[in-house]
Amino acid sequence: MPSIIRIANLTKKFGSLVAVDHLSLEIEDGEILGLLGPNGAGKTTTLLMLTTVIKPTEGTAFIGLHDVTREPDKARTLVGMAFQEPKLLWVSTPWDVLDWHAKVCGLSTDERKKRVRWALEELELWSERHKIIHTFSGGMRKRVEIAKILIQRPKIAIIDEPTSQIDIVGKHRIWNMIRDLRDEGSTILLATNELYEADLLSDRVAIMHRGKLLVCDEPKKLKDSIPGGDVIEVALEKDVSQKSLEKLKEINRIVDILTTKPNHLKIYLNQAEEVLPQITKFFMKARTPIKSIHMSEPSLDDVFAHYTGLTIEEAQRR
Amino acid sequence: MISLRKVWTVAERDMRTFLRYKFLLIMRAIWFLAQIALFGLVVNQMLRPDVQTSVGGNYFNFYVAGIIITMLYSTAVFIGYDIYEEADHGVIEYLLSVPVSRQELVIGRSIGGGLRSFIYVSPMMLFVLYLIGISNPIQLLVAFMSLFLFTFGVAGFSITLAVSIKSSDRFDILLGVFDALIVRLSTTLYPIAYMPQYYAGIAKFNPLTFAADLFRWGAGIESTFLTSPAIAAFGIVSFFSIFTFLGIFLHERKIEGGGWQ
Repeated sequence: MPSIIRIANLTKKFGSLVAVDHLSLEIEDGEILGLLGPNGAGKTTTLLMLTTVIKPTEGTAFIGLHDVTREPDKARTLVGMAFQEPKLLWVSTPWDVLDWHAKVCGLSTDERKKRVRWALEELELWSERHKIIHTFSGGMRKRVEIAKILIQRPKIAIIDEPTSQIDIVGKHRIWNMIRDLRDEGSTILLATNELYEADLLSDRVAIMHRGKLLVCDEPKKLKDSIPGGDVIEVALEKDVSQKSLEKLKEINRIVDILTTKPNHLKIYLNQAEEVLPQITKFFMKARTPIKSIHMSEPSLDDVFAHYTGLTIEEAQRR
Repeated sequence: MISLRKVWTVAERDMRTFLRYKFLLIMRAIWFLAQIALFGLVVNQMLRPDVQTSVGGNYFNFYVAGIIITMLYSTAVFIGYDIYEEADHGVIEYLLSVPVSRQELVIGRSIGGGLRSFIYVSPMMLFVLYLIGISNPIQLLVAFMSLFLFTFGVAGFSITLAVSIKSSDRFDILLGVFDALIVRLSTTLYPIAYMPQYYAGIAKFNPLTFAADLFRWGAGIESTFLTSPAIAAFGIVSFFSIFTFLGIFLHERKIEGGGWQ
């Protein structure tokens, strides 16, 4: 698939602080790319450069065919952004904010009214549409911010922490709306520090830390890239001999085996779902009945830890 | 290529926002009434007949016309405070991300900031014209058109100042100083003939002098001390052009999200 965003050596320095450090990345048309990293990783700064809100110190990015440093006006016609912190004046009302946003994005009067009403109803803000934002909770303000992008339906939707401050029911609703937005033709660049959100929504995940891109791939491939990242715990009816263990280790993709009890094994491997039938077959052949089996795969946090030596939570604290 | 639709959309937003500051609007109107009903009337009683003659026969008329210009100035300059309010809430970043060019944004905001000031002051202006009496409608129309440009210029000036300083405290203090100097070193409150020569030298080139004298000319006040309407109109056009251009330049070259205090 062709790239709709091409980031080349993008760098942003604030004095001596390098917020984004020679970032290069391509985002394909129609995909959801999750930009994952702790606070201060450079995610928001990257997004702000892509929306031309701030200027790169070095390097550039192409939005479609438009260079953000040379043709920012054209680049902005393809992009819409929902910010991490809702950007709303306290004296405004949701209706004013969204109606103006739709108008400035060039929607006709009829379409504007239709879409604004739809978004306000979907996000349960219709009855509050004429109340001033000053009276709103953080979650309500965040919903108004998200509504902007749902109304605009841009070619490239840039969404920064879409569900921070939103309750769990609201999170699911917004995740479905983001998927719908993609299905309607938008490419989505989603910055988040929520692992579950990145895993659930993203076709590919780009992990950032201290302004640098560490790795970018499909979530499954990222998890599989950790040697022995999957774990299968097997409880057996009887004890296993050392010889059997040595033979079990010969199965391709098994990295290590830990005997927690004489009849209880912890097997570290890759692509567990493909190896599991071979393991069960092995024990059946060895006439060692399996009492129970439990399989777990690594999370994106494990992937982050693999590349940085820190969990996201630890990185956030530093 | 500048899209007039987008310029108008930006301007419309600023006008709508202004209407939401009801407390400010009411207080400014009370200030205006106090200035003409108290200060204007009392000072008018204090002045010698020869002074009254030199300002067109009645100082009160001269003064209320000037007060209209200070009202236009102080409400048009309010767009700068809006910019800080927006910076506080991150709305600057939002405005920089929408599909509008920086030129459209600055021109739209200058027009919005100016037009809302003009619309707000219009009832007061009509009231003042009723007090003075209109003698030449065509002159008045020319004056109105120039005052339109004057308010856009003041809004452009305020935007330029706000985005150059990027600190609301400093902007507030600076604007207070500017207000004291710009208003007092102009003919809004008194004629140029009564100023010390070195003050008059500055006042002659003050955009508030151009606007006040042009409005007086439009309202038919016959004072020998008014700036020539052609020079005043030229001064206002120059003022508008300089600050609109500066605003565009700063938005294109300097403005980024973040970094506001």
